[in-house]
Amino acid sequence: MDISQKPLPRITPDTEPFWAGCKRHELLLAECNACSKVHLPPGPVCPFCFSDDLGWRKASGRGQVSAWTVVHKEWFAAFRDDLPYNAAQIELEEGPRLTANLVGVDNEKISVGMEVEVTFDDVSEDVTLPRFQPL
Amino acid sequence: MNDIVRDKAAIVGIGRSEFGRFLPESQLKLGSIAMKNALADSGLERGDIDGLSLHMGWPLGLDYDQIAEAYGLDVRYINQMWTHGRFIAYTLQHAALAVISGMADTVACVTAISFTRERDILGGPGDMEGMREGGGTHGESPPYGLTAPAAGAALAYQRYMSLYGATSEDLAAVPIAFRKHAQLNPHAYTYGKGELTLEDHQSQRMVVDPLRLFDCSLISDGAVVILVTSAERARDLKQSPVYISGMQGLRSGREEFIFSPRSMGMNQQSNGRSGADERDLAVYRMAGIEREDINGLYTYDAFSPLPLFVLERFGFCAPGEAAKWVQDGRIELGGELPMNTSGGLLSESHIGGWNSVYEIASQLRGECGERQIEGAEHLQWGTAWGDSLVFRN
Repeated sequence: MDISQKPLPRITPDTEPFWAGCKRHELLLAECNACSKVHLPPGPVCPFCFSDDLGWRKASGRGQVSAWTVVHKEWFAAFRDDLPYNAAQIELEEGPRLTANLVGVDNEKISVGMEVEVTFDDVSEDVTLPRFQPL
Repeated sequence: MNDIVRDKAAIVGIGRSEFGRFLPESQLKLGSIAMKNALADSGLERGDIDGLSLHMGWPLGLDYDQIAEAYGLDVRYINQMWTHGRFIAYTLQHAALAVISGMADTVACVTAISFTRERDILGGPGDMEGMREGGGTHGESPPYGLTAPAAGAALAYQRYMSLYGATSEDLAAVPIAFRKHAQLNPHAYTYGKGELTLEDHQSQRMVVDPLRLFDCSLISDGAVVILVTSAERARDLKQSPVYISGMQGLRSGREEFIFSPRSMGMNQQSNGRSGADERDLAVYRMAGIEREDINGLYTYDAFSPLPLFVLERFGFCAPGEAAKWVQDGRIELGGELPMNTSGGLLSESHIGGWNSVYEIASQLRGECGERQIEGAEHLQWGTAWGDSLVFRN
């Protein structure tokens, strides 16, 4: 593994539409056409009713910080210059959670329950990462 | 069903190498020392071992074929699981099931690891598991800089603090208790380094907020071998048998996240915690005891929130209460429920958790001297994610 480069998501057939959506700056949720529930991470079947009949729904992009941390230790060289940096789990309005970084916020001010919305970071020609900023 | 397992297999030999950091020996060498010590302890011969059960394989430790080849074994039963603390109980359970079913007569559980030689696998360039699509095995998310297991425990305790008003100071009670135990254990890496104070804990650098240095386990090297055979055979051997009385597996599903209590709103969990349920408590039923009969609890304390979560998993206290429950020496020797009496991963050494299995057997044999749990009859191994064993003497 090249630790001088930040890792990119590993894109699979099940998650490709999600990442394609990010590239268009749209946050997509896997949606079950049988039971109407949404889920993340995107899977090949609905984890609630096991149906194969899945589609995609655009998320509002708003949510709340449900858990967060600030990393102070260098484990992976590519993140050295970012130290200390935050990461959080975001509970989207629709229910599923995503892990991402928070931007535009002082690390000292992050709290559980903080209202955030998605913003997109085109980190390479092929990959766009969703991150979140305070509302 | 209970009669099939309860007290039908036993630990009959325990052995270990030196524990330390940057030990010069190979994992194979460390394992051979532990193996010789376990055989001498039990009175069994090398040729009596016809099964191997393990989970800490390459690159951290040894794979079964290397062990069998290097130590000149000729085995007919193998169980090798995934290189994680969550498979400690399984490794012992499968050893027990193998001897109960007759697939093997004597199974050696072998753990020989060198974290200091292989430390890149913890969130560094050697950590391929952390790169798993959809998240690593402890909630890692490498594109966002969460490459190490500690992050999962940090996220969970941060949420726990917010939900229940717990603090970093509350958390300090865990490493303080285990360091105190290690001061009574000459084999512990921190033996002689003195007890921790709350001030020591709070003054240490933050590693991954809210976990400070002393909230993260030691990174260590060493080996432990545990020999398991049938209860019937155990009665004729050198040591008093340590019986495996009950066992249960780990829980998994959308309501579970490895480093969090169930249904606490981590990953895809719902937000609706309830106390321990029947599936969490099955181990006591199999053992034919009540939770109150447990004289000591041992757990995988890679990070100091995990012992809190295990207390809530098994219902020693209600959801959200553990951070307060562990105060005032309650989990220390002499307290209501001593935990990790050898010092655990935080203060003895991180031998994949097998240092604590060694301690359980030593305690039930009454060999722990100054740190002996008086009258210990039933000791439990249990993790925050629900796997467990109950042992008795």
